[in-house]
Amino acid sequence: MATEVRQPEQDDLLRNVDESQLKPVHTWPHLVSIELIGALIFTLLLSIMAIFVRAPFYRMADPELTPNPAKAPWYFLGLQELLLHMHPALAGVVVPTALLILLAAIPYVDRSKKGTGIWFYSRKGVPIVIFSAVYTTIWNLGLIFVDEWLPAGESTGIAPFLKMHGFPDAFAEIFVPLVFMTFIPFSLWTIVKRRWNADIRELMIAMYTFFLASFVVLTIIGTAFRGVGMELVWPWEVPHPPIGKE
Amino acid sequence: MSLRKWITESRFWKSWFRNPYPRDRRSRSLVILNSLALHLHPVRVPKRATRVTYTWGLGGLATWMFVILTFTGVFLMWYYIPSTQDAYWSIVKLETEVTFGSFFRNLHRWAAHAMVIAVILHMTRVFYTGAYKPPRDFNWVIGVGLLLLTLLLSFSGYLLPWDQLAYWAIAVGMEMGGATPFIGRQVRLALLGGFEIGQQTLIRWYTLHVIFLPLATIFLMATHFWRVRKDGNISTPVYEDDEEELMRVAEERRLR
Repeated sequence: MATEVRQPEQDDLLRNVDESQLKPVHTWPHLVSIELIGALIFTLLLSIMAIFVRAPFYRMADPELTPNPAKAPWYFLGLQELLLHMHPALAGVVVPTALLILLAAIPYVDRSKKGTGIWFYSRKGVPIVIFSAVYTTIWNLGLIFVDEWLPAGESTGIAPFLKMHGFPDAFAEIFVPLVFMTFIPFSLWTIVKRRWNADIRELMIAMYTFFLASFVVLTIIGTAFRGVGMELVWPWEVPHPPIGKE
Repeated sequence: MSLRKWITESRFWKSWFRNPYPRDRRSRSLVILNSLALHLHPVRVPKRATRVTYTWGLGGLATWMFVILTFTGVFLMWYYIPSTQDAYWSIVKLETEVTFGSFFRNLHRWAAHAMVIAVILHMTRVFYTGAYKPPRDFNWVIGVGLLLLTLLLSFSGYLLPWDQLAYWAIAVGMEMGGATPFIGRQVRLALLGGFEIGQQTLIRWYTLHVIFLPLATIFLMATHFWRVRKDGNISTPVYEDDEEELMRVAEERRLR
């Protein structure tokens, strides 16, 4: 992965610079006033929401009555969606841990200082973000649909299909998902590198966009498209509140 | 003399506010330097740093959400009882009998979701503006720690109402935790405080939610803000790597 940092086109990086923007201004009042207005606006908006929209509160906890579907809080629904497609240790432990470690490692992969403070880094930045987002979304949705509808005897899905053809459980539930989860970012890396002659920062932009797009797509699917029995349904078919929570 | 002068020239007032109201260069510098909260900021910033569309104020928003959550949280603590028998009914009572009870509970809930969203958006902004690059590299790592703490704070709070939503969301979470390779049983035991979700689980998560996780978050936030200042304040455009700049300067000197 010895990718040299290349000089982004000078005019791209300098396009937004104008000397008056570098002039120093006092934080009081120029920055502090903006912060105060921001805090007031958000407090007001949240208060209006708190007056009109009730926080969910269902019937008392009943260990005997499992709601259907039983969903985690929205920020974990992406992970819960992954749980449907692979072994729980992989989806619930390995993937989140690896994700946190890889996120923390970003500044140690991309060590160059060039591009700090510039949105999307270069003229290639925005096309790379758009391509990475679309590529990731297509893969994610494609795999979700295949896993939902691929016929495999009495059930459907990639793992049952593989097991039906004699492959061991570990292969279907651990190895194959791992292959997909590494192949998608790896192929994205290769495509972006070749198509745009990307340097390390642009490649990291592609990787982060892969992570963000996956998070968004999986969370949306998990929130709006998983209904009774965690089956893929239209949003209006998802019971609100879930059966067993009223 | 006028009332205003009598107040603002009293010894009490002058001991509290050590500089005049910030209207000139000197008092505008002093107001920042003399204040505990304000000296988070430098005295001056480049004008582009005040552009909302550069950072969207997301880090500040996340912090402000944390402040709202702390105040509404304290209010909720006056009425909430962390017992499996009483938790649910204490919230019913809060919502029906306590003045503004419903408002504060709703505000707490929505501010919690807003904080998670703000933190994720802030991380995304910092990434796309390259503000994790050296010398801000370790501050990014601290930020990932804060992301984890925010998610844990939200998740631990989610359990406390002890309704069907809470109980089964935690059940899903515990199943995931229990699937940890090799030490799954021990992880599950530590998370649950026992073999099943029960009173010991509630007390454990309540304690984490109201004292330990907030303290850890405050400690990491303080470090995070400190490092922002130490690493050069708000990121401004960097067009060259230092080494290249140095080499260029060295080359110029050689040719002179």
